[in-house]
Amino acid sequence: MKQGSEGEIQKAGAKNRLVAGKRGSAGKYWQLYGLMLFPVIYFIIFKYVPMFGNILAFRKHKPGLSPFGTEWTGLRYFEMFLKDPSFWRAFLNTFILAITNLIVNFTIPIVFALLLNELTALRYKKIIQTVTYMPRFVSTVVVISMLTEILSPTSGIVNRLLADLYGMDPIFFANEPRYFRILYILTDTWQFTGWTAVIYLAAITSIEKQLYEAAMIDGANRWQQTRFITLPSILSTIMVMFIMKMGYLLGLGFEKVLLLYTPKISVVSDIIDTFVYRVGLVQSNYSYSTAVGLFGGVVGLILVVSANKISKSLTGESLY
Amino acid sequence: MNKSMSYKIFSTFNIVFMGLLLVICLYPFLYMFALSFSSTNAVLAGKVFLYPIEFHLGTYKTIFEYPNFFIAYRNTIFYTVVGTFISLLMMISFAYPLSKTWLKGRNIVMKFVIFSMFFSGGLIPNFLIVSWLGLTDTVFAMLLPFAISQFNLIILMNFVKNLPGSIEEAAIIDGMSYFGILIKIIVPLSKPAIATISLYTAVFFWNDWFYGMIYMSSAQRYPVMLFLRNIMSGASIRGAASGSGSEDKTTIYATLKSGAIILTTVPIIILYPFLQRYFITGLTLGSVKG
Repeated sequence: MKQGSEGEIQKAGAKNRLVAGKRGSAGKYWQLYGLMLFPVIYFIIFKYVPMFGNILAFRKHKPGLSPFGTEWTGLRYFEMFLKDPSFWRAFLNTFILAITNLIVNFTIPIVFALLLNELTALRYKKIIQTVTYMPRFVSTVVVISMLTEILSPTSGIVNRLLADLYGMDPIFFANEPRYFRILYILTDTWQFTGWTAVIYLAAITSIEKQLYEAAMIDGANRWQQTRFITLPSILSTIMVMFIMKMGYLLGLGFEKVLLLYTPKISVVSDIIDTFVYRVGLVQSNYSYSTAVGLFGGVVGLILVVSANKISKSLTGESLY
Repeated sequence: MNKSMSYKIFSTFNIVFMGLLLVICLYPFLYMFALSFSSTNAVLAGKVFLYPIEFHLGTYKTIFEYPNFFIAYRNTIFYTVVGTFISLLMMISFAYPLSKTWLKGRNIVMKFVIFSMFFSGGLIPNFLIVSWLGLTDTVFAMLLPFAISQFNLIILMNFVKNLPGSIEEAAIIDGMSYFGILIKIIVPLSKPAIATISLYTAVFFWNDWFYGMIYMSSAQRYPVMLFLRNIMSGASIRGAASGSGSEDKTTIYATLKSGAIILTTVPIIILYPFLQRYFITGLTLGSVKG
């Protein structure tokens, strides 16, 4: 491209060189800037104006009036939620759920990828891979609907099996606080394991075959090869994935929690995002819930930025 | 290759285990399928496990008689097709100039795009802005706010960036405009990336229920996933938005729920085998980097 514009400048002659150069770049590139026009307007209206809308956390909202509030209130809404025990419950629930989910659903895809890699029948491997990442494309509504059907106390297959085999009374799994976290985590496992494993599989397949051949000559068995070749080779991928997950720690499946909601399980299931939804959209306390949302957003931002810093210094890889 | 006895045992277990995972992934769909084609009596008597018992089509007949089912289904198709189309127009026309790292101002724009990935307006400000703009309860509330996904944009931008520059240079020397290059050269060459992001986008629109619930007040505009969610929660109206009483959930027969699940998921299940190769390329196409 540079060559193209230089050629034109030369054609324009020595006298007009400067003028042509300027007109050349503006004239040439206006189309590129023109292409950006609508997307940039989109970003301003639908990303940056709402971002500015966070100012509502410091301002009073009157129904029907400006979405940016009507008068300054200072930190009143922040003081309010910091004194609200149901906020702290949601805060604690968020961290417990996020961390247990991270531990389980970060490890399983790695193990799954390693096991999948051990399959020698290529066709079988392909089928397993294709089928296991299909759930990623199924709507959360469908996942939770199927879950409640399978676990239904009246007609669900799990309760029928428990009754037939052990003579147990039906358990209303979806309405028992102690099962909520397990159900949340296991549906995540079901939905995303195959999908996440694709990244590790790609890393595994890019390992040089000679390493394994050399190890086999040295008499290393399959486990030793996995332990000393495969795992160290994909360690940087694992690190990057872990740091990314840490950064998005609070980005829990908000829709899923909302769909699983029953009054009884809300003691463990209410997370920051559902708290914001309930206080904001159900009870219409816009300023108050914006303050909570902003708090969650800032915590999330700090997590992403610091995770990225750590990643940069440890692995040289970064998200941006 | 010398394989030890223990490795052979492991391999056998592994093959069986993977088969088990296959069953776990597929069984829920199979179970829903079986329920939806069984008679209500058979379901209530707890006879259905794998295949339909007392096969009948009454469930689907009932669902089709719901006044809002076809409307919701049509709405979802509309949101998916038009939403994906708008998204593609926006993302293609943005990704191309963004792929030119030497373009003045490009880096600043890119920084704004990336920042908005990590910090956003949040639920309430977004909701208030959409209603402030007067979009609530119009199809635009379902289409415009989601026109660009930064993640998909970056996938496409990286793909365009990595295309060989020589063809484009030749076109510039021939006097082709940037619009012309985009339409005649970049778009055809970026087909795999465009296919991938259109699939991601279409799946997003197809699966949405939450934005349908908060932005739409008339049932005439509900997407089908919201219809399903309302059947599941036993609420036919929006009033019980926070998830209605759990007791209601058993009042609508399991057959009906499973039928609705099958009907709303069937397009994805049918199209999936044909499209899945694009999904994979999407993951391996360029990482998320500015």
